[in-house]
Amino acid sequence: MSNLTHEESIKKVWRVCGILAFVTIFEIAAALFHFYSIPESPRWWLNLLFIILSAAKAYYIMSEFMHLKYELKAMTLTVMTPFLFLIWGIIAFLWEGGYWLSLREFWQ
Amino acid sequence: MEATVQSNARELWSGGDSPFKVSYGKIMMWYFLISDTFSFAGLLISYGAIRLSQPAHDEANPLSWPDPNHVFNAVPFLHGHYPLVFVTFMTFTLIFSSVTMVRAVQEGHAMNRKGVLFWLGLTIIGGLIFVGSQAFEWSHLIHEGMTQKSNPFGASAFGGLFFLITGFHGFHVSVGVMLNSWAFLMTFFGAFHRRGHYEMIEKLGLYWHFVDLVWVFVFLAFYLL
Repeated sequence: MSNLTHEESIKKVWRVCGILAFVTIFEIAAALFHFYSIPESPRWWLNLLFIILSAAKAYYIMSEFMHLKYELKAMTLTVMTPFLFLIWGIIAFLWEGGYWLSLREFWQ
Repeated sequence: MEATVQSNARELWSGGDSPFKVSYGKIMMWYFLISDTFSFAGLLISYGAIRLSQPAHDEANPLSWPDPNHVFNAVPFLHGHYPLVFVTFMTFTLIFSSVTMVRAVQEGHAMNRKGVLFWLGLTIIGGLIFVGSQAFEWSHLIHEGMTQKSNPFGASAFGGLFFLITGFHGFHVSVGVMLNSWAFLMTFFGAFHRRGHYEMIEKLGLYWHFVDLVWVFVFLAFYLL
């Protein structure tokens, strides 16, 4: 459990809420800015930004809202290590998807 | 020194105690959420693989992957196109209901029954608004001609994946609303108070935050990327 008092943890929750709301507004603003102002520019930098910001949101939700930051380290590791498989899964299957596209184009 | 550490470790794992200092119910909720993460990850990774197997967005090619700014631009009661405005509202509803859920858990720690009722009630309302918004979005897109097999905005696979993944997420939200409503009634009749702790609210809180967490990635995959 955390050592924060009742009032401190209430304050902290609203701060995390503010961070999540701000990040979401920033994401939407960046997407609309690209759509309206610079639609021809490459999207990769924007996509990278979205992935990083979403990972940050996920970190805040898990560590603060789901309280994982305040659990024992062994508990946190037990929960988090299975997700390492997802790194392999994402790379392998996205790679495979790109290969399907090249096959499709090859046979057309 | 080493010997004592070892014997302590053995005692810790020999039963009768919680090595993680987490109750049985909460740890089982965590294990369920880990397995559920893999269900959602499987769906979202297949979305990524199928998306990359289709031609990238291209105005000239009607079979290319659609641009979310063109697909998601309707707002209820308003005419005209407002890209991503409505989904921003939905995202905020979910974030806010997650915060009210944390507040309910905190009031539960303080054994404040009225506080739990107030914040849990707000959480339920937030969940209902989210599911209602999703119903609007679905019916709008179905009217536009998007189904599981067809998609007027581009690659037909987009339609099927959209309804499958947002539907699976919406199903989770609906289950969460039902469980929270049950907990609301239990709190109202004082069942948790008599039990001496509000741990059930914490367990439901974990589930509810997980639903919010999944939405971060559904939002990323369908609306941002």
